Amino acid sequence: MVEVTEKLWPVEVPPRVKYLRTIWAEMSRTHSHLLWLGLLADAFGFESMFLQFWRIRERVLDLLEMTTGQRVIQSVNIIGGVRRDISPEQKKICIDTLNTVRKESESLIKVLTNDYTVKSRTIGKGVLTKEQALQLGCAGPTLRGSGVREDARLTKYDAYGELNYEPVVEEAGDSYARALVRAKETLQAIDLQLEALAKLPDGEIAVRVRGNPPANEAVMRTEAPRGELFYYAKGNGTRNLERLKVRTPTFANLPSLLVMLPGCELADVPVIVLSIDPCISCTER
Amino acid sequence: MPWMLPTILKNFFGGPATRLYPVEVREPFEHARGQVSFNEDKCTLCGTCVRRCPAEAISMDKEKNELTFYPARCIVCEVCVDICPRKAIDLIYKWRSPFYAKPVEVYKPRGKASNKAEKEVAATHEPALNN
Ligand code: SF4
Ligand code: SF4
Repeated sequence: MVEVTEKLWPVEVPPRVKYLRTIWAEMSRTHSHLLWLGLLADAFGFESMFLQFWRIRERVLDLLEMTTGQRVIQSVNIIGGVRRDISPEQKKICIDTLNTVRKESESLIKVLTNDYTVKSRTIGKGVLTKEQALQLGCAGPTLRGSGVREDARLTKYDAYGELNYEPVVEEAGDSYARALVRAKETLQAIDLQLEALAKLPDGEIAVRVRGNPPANEAVMRTEAPRGELFYYAKGNGTRNLERLKVRTPTFANLPSLLVMLPGCELADVPVIVLSIDPCISCTER
Repeated sequence: MPWMLPTILKNFFGGPATRLYPVEVREPFEHARGQVSFNEDKCTLCGTCVRRCPAEAISMDKEKNELTFYPARCIVCEVCVDICPRKAIDLIYKWRSPFYAKPVEVYKPRGKASNKAEKEVAATHEPALNN
């Protein structure tokens, strides 16, 4: 939202802001995917694994709270920059914690992806072919789990152009493939944060933006944990925007259930529905 | 499940991961957005925060000279703290304790009066200074 509004002027934000935004976006992805991995375990009754993932997630939330002030809805972006900075001490804590989180999640993910029960509950369940995924306009891990190399981060917004980033793609298109994409993305997100923290440039954390949004139109694509988030904004020179349109990833992914669900066993429904990581409030558009 | 073994062992001997909340409360982070608090002495009831709050958590009644804050609606976005022209809203790092009934805080802003008083004091002092 902030970036699309910035594009109306357009405002060029300092490099440090781009890196900070990237770090926080990836931190959000880490905690969101860890939450999802926990929920996946919960969906087929692997309760202890569920809590193990959520325990790790809590550390990432602590990092977010320490650096941005809030756990989930960070409200840290403002037009022209960010509200908070990461101090050198905080950076050190972040790096240490992220390394521990990476090690712990890696061992848990190994269990989740190699376990016989997990495999039998997810492999071949809710298959979405590449053509179907494209036709139904899916986004994010749901699309990448069906073998499509598509990610808004490839548009190189924020600092992604300067980081070593390559989307995670799995070919199978079943619930297991989508789980693998999210599991690998969790680890990749931690790597991206570590890389961005290492490269974090010095400088301003906000520039002053004057006046109201000019009469102009802009679109912005960002990659949220669940998939591509699309924003359209139209300004008319007054303080309020004339139009703001948001397309959320769950809204894009929901139709894929029409293909995945028919003919499946009733017991597989929770896992398949969960495999698109539905956010019900995002579908209310 | 050989891969799970280290985690299982750690869980057995590692102690609890949770705290005995509310007996044991974690220290808030220095810049955490816990809650906002209004300073009656500074607020002039200008209404900027009421207009800008995205959660409609603040309302005011000019006639009664009242500013009402609904903490349960507040998402601690910090917008009001940033834009209050009198710097009458403070951000407190500590989180609000859980509540059974939604609290409603009514403030009687005295900013205008104290502003006036300040001006009057300044006015009475001025001639003295001139002398
Ligand atoms: S708190 Fe600040 S912004 Fe809100 S009415 Fe009082 S002076 Fe105005
Ligand atoms: S912090 Fe945000 S939500 Fe809370 S009262 Fe201020 S403007 Fe409203």
